[in-house]
Amino acid sequence: MSRRAGGALLLLVLALLATGGTPPASARGGHVEAIVKDQDGKPVVDAVVSMTPAGGPGSAPPTRPPDAVMDQVNKEFVPLVLPVMVGTAVSFPNRDNIRHHVYSFSSARKFELPLYIGTPAAPIVFDKPGPVALGCNIHDWMVAYIYVVATPHFAKTVADGKARLEGMPAGTYEARVWHARLRGATEATTKPITLTEDEEGRLTFTLSLKKPESRPAPRREPYEGPQQSG
Amino acid sequence: MFVGLFAVVLAISLFVVAVFVRAAARNEIDEELRLATTLFVRQLDARSQQLVGATRLLSGDFALKTAVATADHDTTRSVLENHRRRIGADLLMLLSLDGAITADTREAAHRGAAFALPRLLEEAEQTQDPTWVVPLDGGLVRLAIVPVLAPDPIAWMCAGFRIDDRTAVEQRRLTGLHVSFLRRGESGFTVNASTLEAAARRDLERGLAEARQSGVVQIEGSRHVARMEQIAPEVLVVLQRPLAEALGPFNRLFWILAVVGGLGLGLAILGAVLVARRVSRPVMALAGAARRVAAGDFDAAVAVRQRDELGELAGTFNEMVGGLRDRERVRGELERAERLKRFFSPQVAEVLSAGDESVLASHRREITVVFCDLRSFTAFAEAADPEDVMRLLRDYHAILGPLISRYEGTLERFTGDGLMVFFNDPVPCPDPALRAVRLAVEARDAVLQLLGGWRQRGYTLGFGSGIAMGFATVGRIGFEGRFDYAAIGTVTNLAGRLCQEATDGQILISSTVYAEVERFVEAAPLGEVTLRGFTKPLLAFSVLGMRSRELAPTTPGLSAGRAEPTR
Repeated sequence: MSRRAGGALLLLVLALLATGGTPPASARGGHVEAIVKDQDGKPVVDAVVSMTPAGGPGSAPPTRPPDAVMDQVNKEFVPLVLPVMVGTAVSFPNRDNIRHHVYSFSSARKFELPLYIGTPAAPIVFDKPGPVALGCNIHDWMVAYIYVVATPHFAKTVADGKARLEGMPAGTYEARVWHARLRGATEATTKPITLTEDEEGRLTFTLSLKKPESRPAPRREPYEGPQQSG
Repeated sequence: MFVGLFAVVLAISLFVVAVFVRAAARNEIDEELRLATTLFVRQLDARSQQLVGATRLLSGDFALKTAVATADHDTTRSVLENHRRRIGADLLMLLSLDGAITADTREAAHRGAAFALPRLLEEAEQTQDPTWVVPLDGGLVRLAIVPVLAPDPIAWMCAGFRIDDRTAVEQRRLTGLHVSFLRRGESGFTVNASTLEAAARRDLERGLAEARQSGVVQIEGSRHVARMEQIAPEVLVVLQRPLAEALGPFNRLFWILAVVGGLGLGLAILGAVLVARRVSRPVMALAGAARRVAAGDFDAAVAVRQRDELGELAGTFNEMVGGLRDRERVRGELERAERLKRFFSPQVAEVLSAGDESVLASHRREITVVFCDLRSFTAFAEAADPEDVMRLLRDYHAILGPLISRYEGTLERFTGDGLMVFFNDPVPCPDPALRAVRLAVEARDAVLQLLGGWRQRGYTLGFGSGIAMGFATVGRIGFEGRFDYAAIGTVTNLAGRLCQEATDGQILISSTVYAEVERFVEAAPLGEVTLRGFTKPLLAFSVLGMRSRELAPTTPGLSAGRAEPTR
């Protein structure tokens, strides 16, 4: 494969990820537009808005969620925040020409992928809801989050602080938002919302965020594209 | 006075210098302490930064993170102890995010207890410089608190270094100053760590309040300049230096100045003495000499050899005195010359006044003596008016005086009408007898002419004269202030007797005189005459007159011009 083609593939993957991993709209339904702001009224990017049917997730038929990918590109995790549904298998392909040592000490999923190159054979399955902070033992600045939710209805805010949840069946939901720097518990952000068919719901969240953790700055080298995974 | 002024100026200078030097010294010490304190605090900060860096390094250790995440406390504590040794810290703690002690190298039992300084955790979240000096376990500890990131914070790691005497000594090595760490307790500040001895620490604690105001603290009896810096709430650092030690170089400077000043003063005194010697002494000498001159001592001279204005003045003074002395001598000579004219002819008097007084010494010489007087003068003086007596004498003397001068005779005595003149002394002359006779002849002619007028008025006055020749002792006789030039000997007596023997108009000469003047004089022998006082009769002659034709050549050296003494 030519390098150009490889770049195109990457862009495709990124485009897919940008949709927030929401499953393709299989059924028609309502949609919700959530706006997330911080205490200063600024839009918050990379916040995960999830909506759980009031009756509990059990009401929805368990379907195996599609696999997800947490890339390591130019000594950074891509994406920064990856929301997944419980039971999602996430692979951690390393596209750099050096090794990474990905780990998590989060209670939702503790794991460690000691120094590896390429894509580990077995993806990691995230079967408990909650945030999973990912780090790389040899690159202190490498941080990413996999936010595991127990509902298929979730979306990630983009730069304007908006997240759009499509194909929502009518019903009553509990909506909440999570962010890596959220002060306090996610549960505290819970808002009830009732949707009817083809109705557009609107949600606005104002979060209190902590200051970003000071971390050593990455020493960037010119990116030379992903390595051929084998 | 000059030296006094100099001393005053010197004292003022020294005083000003002392004040200035003290102020400068104090400034310098303060500045030095300020610098040292700045350096000290920097150093302290640097140590803290090192501690933070080291703690950060430890907190990134994956094994530690793993141990923390697995909540394996024994392993965690063991890792902590290991890591504590890695950085040489005194204590290492792991705190949960909510401020409970998870593990502590000091005491296993601390686990689960709340961290004593929860505020530090809040500050640690905010600050870029997570280090503190805090009281802990009864001492001072420098703490660094950093999060354990995995990659989000999962715990706090807290490392501590005790600040003890060793730390102070280490700091002293850096600044060379005494270093003390003090902590505020309930009863004021207490020294926690210091390079000072125990007694000095107590002094510092006591004197701290005063030191805070004046910057000076009394420690073990000596004054120290102190500077304090708060390095944490309730925690002070005091740097100090003995004032005397700091003032040392300035005191040395002061003493050098004092010594230099003293030397200067000494030189000034020496200079003043020299000036006194060069100025005052000559001036005093001049004044003394001037007084002596005023008192009439013209030998007063000033011995000044210096070549400056004073030397010139003294020279001029000496010249002036010399001038005065010369003038005085001239005046004295003139006076003496006047005096001598009584005895001698003006020519002789001049010789004498030139200073050759040896002629006045007593000596023996052959002289010709002329006696003459007025006959019946005593009766005349009784009968006539005193005015007439005086007029006669004046006219009489006016005849005789010029004659004596002209013949260069020496007037020995002058008593009213009688007088005695002798020749050949003190200046020898070739023809004393002849001169004597001529004097007598001319005097007789003139006096008889003068007496002619008086006789017509009824006064029977006459003139007689006697001349003798022989040896006599001649010289100055008398006493200080009243000397006469006198001739003592038979010859004067003989001349006097002959004069008494002479009748009016008669000039009697002895045979010796006659033998000398025989060729020039007409004389009639009187035969043997018996004179009073002389045992043997003597041959005497009466001079009738001069042999006129032989008059002129016999008087060489007596020109007409010199015959009349100039007046």
